[in-house]
Amino acid sequence: MKKGIFTLFAFIFMILAACSNQSDEAATTPSENKEGKTEIVFWHAMSGDLETVLKEIVEEFNKSHSSIEVKPIFQGTYEEALTKFNTVAGTKDAPAIMQTFEVGTKYMIDSGKIQPVQKFIDEENYDIAQWEKNIVNYYTVNGKIYSMPFNSSTPVLIYNKDAFKEAGLDPEKPPMTYGELKEAAKKLTKKQGGQTTQYGFSILNYGWFFEEMLAVQGGLYVNHENGRKENATKAVFNGEEGLRVFDLIRDMYKEGTFYNVGQNWDDMRAAFQSKKIAMYLDSSAGVKTIIDNAPFEVGVSYLPVPDGVERQGVIIGGASLWMTKDISEKQQKAAWEFMKYLSTSEVQAKWHVKTGYFAINPAAYEEEIVKAEWEKYPQLKVTVDQLKQTKSIPATQGALISVFPESRQKVVKAMESLYQGVDPQEALNRAAAETDRALEIANKK
Amino acid sequence: MNTPLPVQPPASVQIRRKRTMRTTLEGITYLLPSLILFSIFLFYPMLRTMYLSVYLTDYQGNPVQFVGIENFVYLLKDVNFLQSVKATLLFVCYTVPTSVFLALCLALMANEKLKGIGLFRTCFSSTMGMSVAASSVIWMFMYNPSIGVINKVLSLFGISDVQWLLDPKIALVSVAISTIWMNTGFTFLILLGGLQNIDPSLYESARIAGVSYLYQLRKVTLPLLSPTLFFVTTVSLIHSFQTFGQIDILTKGGPMDATNVIVYSIYKDAFINYNFGSASAQAVILFFAILVVTFLQFKFGERKVHYQ
Repeated sequence: MKKGIFTLFAFIFMILAACSNQSDEAATTPSENKEGKTEIVFWHAMSGDLETVLKEIVEEFNKSHSSIEVKPIFQGTYEEALTKFNTVAGTKDAPAIMQTFEVGTKYMIDSGKIQPVQKFIDEENYDIAQWEKNIVNYYTVNGKIYSMPFNSSTPVLIYNKDAFKEAGLDPEKPPMTYGELKEAAKKLTKKQGGQTTQYGFSILNYGWFFEEMLAVQGGLYVNHENGRKENATKAVFNGEEGLRVFDLIRDMYKEGTFYNVGQNWDDMRAAFQSKKIAMYLDSSAGVKTIIDNAPFEVGVSYLPVPDGVERQGVIIGGASLWMTKDISEKQQKAAWEFMKYLSTSEVQAKWHVKTGYFAINPAAYEEEIVKAEWEKYPQLKVTVDQLKQTKSIPATQGALISVFPESRQKVVKAMESLYQGVDPQEALNRAAAETDRALEIANKK
Repeated sequence: MNTPLPVQPPASVQIRRKRTMRTTLEGITYLLPSLILFSIFLFYPMLRTMYLSVYLTDYQGNPVQFVGIENFVYLLKDVNFLQSVKATLLFVCYTVPTSVFLALCLALMANEKLKGIGLFRTCFSSTMGMSVAASSVIWMFMYNPSIGVINKVLSLFGISDVQWLLDPKIALVSVAISTIWMNTGFTFLILLGGLQNIDPSLYESARIAGVSYLYQLRKVTLPLLSPTLFFVTTVSLIHSFQTFGQIDILTKGGPMDATNVIVYSIYKDAFINYNFGSASAQAVILFFAILVVTFLQFKFGERKVHYQ
């Protein structure tokens, strides 16, 4: 018994010692490490192939900049990374650079823990005109650039060219409107006995796709010009544009040409690879991997629009890099140096061809490696063209609200309820009402 | 001068009191390590949760505005929360009786003295060694509608595809099945231990009396196993109320909140939506719910328990 208590005490001391060790370490590495290099901790959410490429890029940066050492640390998905950031923001453990997805923009601004990069842009007269204009549009808030865009993507329609040929469709003429989409999906749906072996079309139950299908018609997500003029107070996505999207899903599901893939990206891609679905929506960031892995020819096209509605373009997805406020001036300078490096055309070119994210710096498309890769993968170019043709209006600038993650859950639930036969308008209204409540609470904070 | 002199207690009482003090102090010293651990990791967080449940918080979880019982009032009217309550209760009803019953059957079988029984004992308890995350991922692949093995097997029998995790009517059952599989190992092991503790002479007497197996089970095994059964049920019940990992990996609370049990809803509210106030309120409600259930169980369930 005595021994037991002794072990317990030893255990407690060990924990305490471990805790204090950790805080010592954090305290002694404020800005410089042993070799006198400025250390920049960089939290990111890039997994798999993306992480490998990102590490390569950081490695090259560290080699070419002798006084700076960037340490990339993977922190899980965007949502998970944001949660972790939230708990350490303002303490010594906070990273110098934080990668956050586009819908976290407003949240990061409101957190008050970040340093807008506009300060450095002004100091150096850094030319943001070299960036893709749609990206500048998205990340400009109240006339200021808060974060450095890094990896940007758009939604695209991906389809199985072989299945198109089999069904007697022209594989070079993917559907551009809802009408064409429905027609094509009908022809692509194959039945064997009582079972459907191949479905025509699918959309992941994920809020982002709904937001994009809304924006491409020019529909707003929330009031006050998508929350860009002043704080949004009401969700407006339950208007006619939103209804068209929901009607499409409902109609196609009823006809048996639409397959519900759930809310997991990998499940959706697995369904496409295994020929369960012939067309679906994906992020341009996934294009390269899909083409490489599919056992058939893959086509990439624009997001479809409802018949008779003019195409307005897409909102950029992806993420940007944020600088935190509570680090030394020297670290901020170094972090800025790294951010600038990431947006150079060479780095962006490499990033584009290895991942499918498009370059935030259009000069990258003139680089040789991009041209060579576009020869091999003409599909990569589609994602770039779609963005270039985007009109700059509040709808395609994207909504700016801090409760996006919550609102997305509500939209996902509404999408799921469609498969249970809930009326599209009713489902939308409910999601909108729940978003209103979230906005109301957020505005109280 | 009327003030009575303080009466000196007799010496023996004094000594006794001193001794009680000493033993109490000694007891507390022994308890100190666990008291410290409990206060840091259990009592403080619990009090903090209760405190936060009456506030509106900012994104870091700092209280900004006192709202009283508003969080609770909103929750009790909120259809989403009521759905969570329903999902939790259903989930508990699906998992606890099934896994205890299943584990009991397995334990009774594995308690027989047969050749190679050790192999089966290892097999039956092996799920205990698997982490929730790892087993959830395996189940996720098995449930996958396009490439999963379950649908492949069903299609051999001509049964059309089932969307295990995407159909709100089936999703909770699917998660419950995987949970039962995960829990059985632990429950099995405890019950087997209980069975092996039963005095063999009682079985001998039963055999001499020539009673049937079922009679022996009803009159000897179950009454003597009842303390273990009671323990296992209580622990499973609490465990089941707090299920999180498999929900997070398999369904993320979807589809249509069908598997959004309270613990998952708390997590979502606090760490995705940053509403620490309302999340704390849900945690407090869950705390009292488990308290009441456990209390009722001790009050009524324990009566049937036979301690040797």
